[in-house]
Amino acid sequence: MNGITVDIEHLKKGEVSLGTSIMAVTFKDGVILGADSRTTTGAYIANRVTDKLTQVHDTIFCCRSGSAADTQAITDVVRYHLQMYTAQNGKPTTKIAASLFQELCYTNKDHLTAGIICAGYDEKKKGSVYSIPIGGSIHQQDYAIAGSGSTFIYGYCNKNFKKNMTKDETVNFIKTSLSQAIKWDGSSGGVIRLVILTKDGIERLIFYPDEYQEA
Amino acid sequence: MSDPSSINGGSAVAMMGKDCVAIACDLRLGSQSLGLANNFEKIFNFGHVFLGLAGLATDVTTLSEIFRMKTNLYKMKEERLIEPESFANLVSSTLYERRFGPYFVSPIVAGINSKTDKPFICGFDLIGCIDYAKDFIVAGTSSDQLFGMCESLYEPNLEPEDLFETISQALLSATDRDALSGWGAVVYIITKDKVLFLIYFF
Amino acid sequence: MVGLSFDNYQRNQYLAAKGVGVPKATSTGTTIVGCKFNGGVIIAADTRATAGPIVADKNCEKLHRLSPTIWCAGAGTAADTEMVTQLISSNLELHSMSANRSPRVVTALTMLKQHLYKYQGHIGAYLIVAGIDPTGAHLFSIHAHGSTDVGFYQSLGSGSLAAMAVLESNWRDGLTKEEAIKLCSDAIEAGIWNDLGSGSNVDVCVMEIGKDAQLYRNYLTPNTRAQKSKSYKFPRGSTAILKEDIYKLVDVEEEVVNLDTMQVDA
Repeated sequence: MNGITVDIEHLKKGEVSLGTSIMAVTFKDGVILGADSRTTTGAYIANRVTDKLTQVHDTIFCCRSGSAADTQAITDVVRYHLQMYTAQNGKPTTKIAASLFQELCYTNKDHLTAGIICAGYDEKKKGSVYSIPIGGSIHQQDYAIAGSGSTFIYGYCNKNFKKNMTKDETVNFIKTSLSQAIKWDGSSGGVIRLVILTKDGIERLIFYPDEYQEA
Repeated sequence: MSDPSSINGGSAVAMMGKDCVAIACDLRLGSQSLGLANNFEKIFNFGHVFLGLAGLATDVTTLSEIFRMKTNLYKMKEERLIEPESFANLVSSTLYERRFGPYFVSPIVAGINSKTDKPFICGFDLIGCIDYAKDFIVAGTSSDQLFGMCESLYEPNLEPEDLFETISQALLSATDRDALSGWGAVVYIITKDKVLFLIYFF
Repeated sequence: MVGLSFDNYQRNQYLAAKGVGVPKATSTGTTIVGCKFNGGVIIAADTRATAGPIVADKNCEKLHRLSPTIWCAGAGTAADTEMVTQLISSNLELHSMSANRSPRVVTALTMLKQHLYKYQGHIGAYLIVAGIDPTGAHLFSIHAHGSTDVGFYQSLGSGSLAAMAVLESNWRDGLTKEEAIKLCSDAIEAGIWNDLGSGSNVDVCVMEIGKDAQLYRNYLTPNTRAQKSKSYKFPRGSTAILKEDIYKLVDVEEEVVNLDTMQVDA
């Protein structure tokens, strides 16, 4: 590796990977994160009910894709830093959390396989979404999609996303998007998990295959 | 030359009897098919504990010296001889310390605990995983043959004299079918108050 | 002499560069499972250890104690599961003594995953961690690279597919202790019969809230060898002896010497 190019196909032998469909979408009242629940080792589904939506602070979550070990380790480090930050400076913004992710992903890019979407709700910016893809860059977006399944829904999402949607509209948007991603991507599957972050706090939703497959 | 643990050749075996244990090894030292020496003992004793070391000869010698040092230090610190169970754990941690650059050996341990009079045998892989056994332990280039011989010849609660015949015949028959082992053998029969030490040719 | 030594690594790399292969360590081609039930959690394992195609140990122990109420089942490289378990068990006890609290399962889990992550999968330990702590009953699995999973039931090892088939078809919410033991031992048996890397007996460990953990060593023994119908004992004197020696192990006697009465030259 020369520091410029990154081998995104690289996974250590026998490593557990999150061949994934994940997304996060801002809406009128905040932000919603969504993910499938499949983790694989090669062709075997190591866990069919994984929770890829991980809390790093009160109302800041992230969607994990890539190596399960790497993304869990990064998330643990970020959660620790945000606890320290809170003790010294009070509530962190989503941007601060996202910057922590970005810093870790960039400085250790040669050793990591991690694609992360950091999303959260804070009083300053309300709902916000930051995408941190594999090389360690950071992109603020109105919505973000990532993971192996996301390639199938770039067009759909681009056509159907609208700013300032209602909660129900957004939930439906994510549900239909992810159901398509899961349908066409063999590495994605299981249930669809959602986390809704608003001024009222956290709300978790779960959708089972027989429900979302019709959508 | 492909596998370090079968360049020099050699085998060892240990068995548990009634209030006794036996440990035996061949005497060959070779360089692939070329025989170099017929007096290369692979069994070492540290007090009343016996260690068999099959594998790469340079590592066999190095490790035997390491354990001589470690058991002597143990003797000075504890003011007593090391017991088989403790020695097994010493071997295990010494080998695992070299987890990512191992010694190419497969050690076996045999002895009788001097406090409890309990016979004890065990074996290890090259990075120190202990294999406790109630019957027999095999190691070296003829380990496959030894497994077969022991599995059929062994029976529990043998008297020292009978255990000698069983372990001897098992080792003899096994090494006869291994080009890298043989050239004489030693057997130690260990009871709680004496050690019988026998050499034989075939 | 703290930690692992990489001294021989260079020598072995040199040997490997000259076309010398590296010998295989014994790996526990294994079936291990864990399952939660109403009021606790249990784990189970088979007892076969293999080195390539050879069964190295017919009755090895794959259930390790991390603390009196937290146990773990190990698959992968046998030495690694044993040593990582001993290390974390030791650190867990030191931690619980300095914190003055009984150890938690998540603490054991975090210590294990951080250790394994540090070694980037080179320590080949695949573990199912289960136990009781003041927070309740918990069940996790850890992969060698340091990733962890949560669940009501888990299976790992080469026989995990056979075991998972049993767990997926027979598991339900709110199992009793007896039902959970049956489910886990069935899952291990599926591994024993259908996976070549697994075999011999079933070990079970039951951890119930408010009770001491119970290890059932060889809970099932479906592979006991039949009594040999004939003895292969050789007549004494069968083996030709060249030389015989007898070592009498000496008893060391100690005597306290009184310095007052001892004459010392000036």
